[in-house]
Amino acid sequence: MSVAVSPIVQARHVTKWYGPRRAVADVSFTIEPGEIVGLLGPNGSGKSTIFRIICGYLAPSSGSVEVAGYDVMADSMEVRRAISYVPEDSPLYEHMRVIEFLRFMGNTKGLRGRGLRQAVEAAAERLDLTGVMMMPTGKLSRGFRQRVSIAQALLGDPKVLVLDEPTSGLDPHQVIAVRDLIGSLGGRHTVLLASHVLPEIEKIATRVMILLDGALLTADALKHAAASVTLRLRAAGPEAEVRSALDAVAGVRDIAAAQGGGGEASGVEPAVYLIEAERRPALAPDIVAALVSRGIAVSEFTEAAPDLERIFLGLTRRPAKAAA
Amino acid sequence: MSNFAVLLLKEERALFSSPIAYVVMTVFLLIMGYSFTLSLFLSHQPSLVHVFFQIFVLFMLTGPLITMRLVAEERKLRTLEVLLTAPVSEIDIVLAKFIASMSLFVLMLLLSGAYAVVLAYFGDPDLGPIYSGYLGLLLFGATVVGTGLLASALASNQIVAALIALSVFLLFWIIDNFGMLLPSPFDTLVVNLSLAVHFRPFAVGSVYLSDVGFFPSAALLTLLLSVRALARR
Repeated sequence: MSVAVSPIVQARHVTKWYGPRRAVADVSFTIEPGEIVGLLGPNGSGKSTIFRIICGYLAPSSGSVEVAGYDVMADSMEVRRAISYVPEDSPLYEHMRVIEFLRFMGNTKGLRGRGLRQAVEAAAERLDLTGVMMMPTGKLSRGFRQRVSIAQALLGDPKVLVLDEPTSGLDPHQVIAVRDLIGSLGGRHTVLLASHVLPEIEKIATRVMILLDGALLTADALKHAAASVTLRLRAAGPEAEVRSALDAVAGVRDIAAAQGGGGEASGVEPAVYLIEAERRPALAPDIVAALVSRGIAVSEFTEAAPDLERIFLGLTRRPAKAAA
Repeated sequence: MSNFAVLLLKEERALFSSPIAYVVMTVFLLIMGYSFTLSLFLSHQPSLVHVFFQIFVLFMLTGPLITMRLVAEERKLRTLEVLLTAPVSEIDIVLAKFIASMSLFVLMLLLSGAYAVVLAYFGDPDLGPIYSGYLGLLLFGATVVGTGLLASALASNQIVAALIALSVFLLFWIIDNFGMLLPSPFDTLVVNLSLAVHFRPFAVGSVYLSDVGFFPSAALLTLLLSVRALARR
C-alpha cells in the first residue's frame, strides 16, 4: 500500500500583473517534499516573481500558492516559518557584522540562547564563514555575501529553501562547494532554485521547470527530454537526399546539419546531422533502412545524451519574434 | 526576547550607526543653544516658549532626514525582501522603526532639557508651560515620525520620501491660513488640521484634550497606513 505524500509547495493558476505588464501567466505546479527543483528561464521570464510569491513577499494578482499546507496570503506567518529565502544579489544589512546578521536572522526565526549560538556556528561552519564572522557585511566580497545569505537561510531548519541565483558571483571552487551543499540539502529540505547556468542546474536539480514570458513551458524538462531522442548521424550523400529520406521516417521532428562535422554535405564526404525524434521502438533501424534504401552510406549513428541546453533553447525559442 | 525587541534593537543599531543621527543632533543642539541664549538675553524672561516653537519647526525639518531611510532604504537595498519573508509581523516591523526613531527625538528633547535646568537654577520659571511644552513636542514628534515612516513606506527613494514628508509638514503647518478663507463649516475643519494650531496651546502652557488627542490620533493613523503599505505588496 503506497502512502500519498502531499506536496510541500502547490501553485494553482498563479498570475501576477505589474501594472499593464503580465510577469507570471497562469502558472501551476507542485513540488514534493525533499525535491531539488530548478527553475530556468531567460531574464525577465518571471522566475524571481514566482519565488517572491511563494515566499509571501508579493501577492499574486490571481491564483493561490500553498506552502506546507498553508496559503501564502491567508497564513503568511506559518508560511514564513516553513520557508527561507535567498534573494538574488544577497541583500544584507550593511551596518551589521556577519555574526550580528546571522544572530539577527536567527532571532527572527525564533532561535534564542544556546540554540541560536549552535545554529549560527553550524551554519557558519557549513558555509566556511568562521574567518569572517567579525567583519562588517558591507566589506565582504560577493562570494562571501552569497554564502552569508545562504547561511541565514539555513538557520531555523526550514522545510523549504528558495534560492534565487545562489551561485552567481562565486568562483569555481565556491560554486562546487555551494552545489555540493545544495545537493546535500535535498531529502531533508525541499530546495527551489533559479539559475542561468544550465549545466549547473542539470547537476543539482532532480527536476527542472522552464519559464518563458511568465508561462511555465514544462514542469519537468528532464522528463520532457526522455520523451524525445537526439541522434547523431554521419552519412555520405547529397544533403537534400538525406533530409528527404529522414523526413519520411515516422517520428522525426527536426534535422540539423551539425557544426564541425568534418565534412561538407556534398555527397562525396560524409556530413554530420543531428536528428531530433520521438522516442519509439525500431526508430534507429527505420532511419538506417530509409537511408540505405536510397544508397546513402551511414558511417556513424549514435544517440546523443539528453542535453538540457538544447531542450531549454528549443522550448524558449520565440518563432514569431525570431523571424521578425 | 520578543520579535519586537529583536527588531527594535536592530533599528536602534541602524539609526545610531548612521551619521545622520549625530548630524541631526549636533545641528539641533547648536541651533537651539543659540536660540535659547538669544531669547534669554533679549527678553530676560525665564521662559522656553520661543525655544519650543523653534523645536517645533526643527522637528518638521529634521524629522524627514531621520525617517526617510526607514523603509525606502530597505527597499532599495532589497533587505526588505529578507525581512518580510522572515516570520516577523509587519506590525512589529513598523512599531520597531517608529519607536527607534522616537528614541532619537526623545534624546534630543532630553538634551534640550538642559535649558530648563539652567532656567530653574538661575531663575524662577513657571514650570507648567515647560511641562506642557515638552508634552506637546513629544506628541508632535510622534506625528512627525509616523508621517515620515509612512512616506518612507510609500516611496521607493529616500529623497522622495523626505520630500513627501517635508511637503506634508509644511502644508499642515500653514493650512490654517488657507482654512480661514473657506466658508463654514469647512473653515473649522481645515483649521483644525493645522499642526501649529494644535501645538500652540502646549507651548504657552494650555493643555486641551482635543490637542492631546490630535497628535496621537494622527500618529496612529500613519502607523496603520504604514503597516498596510508594507502588507500590501
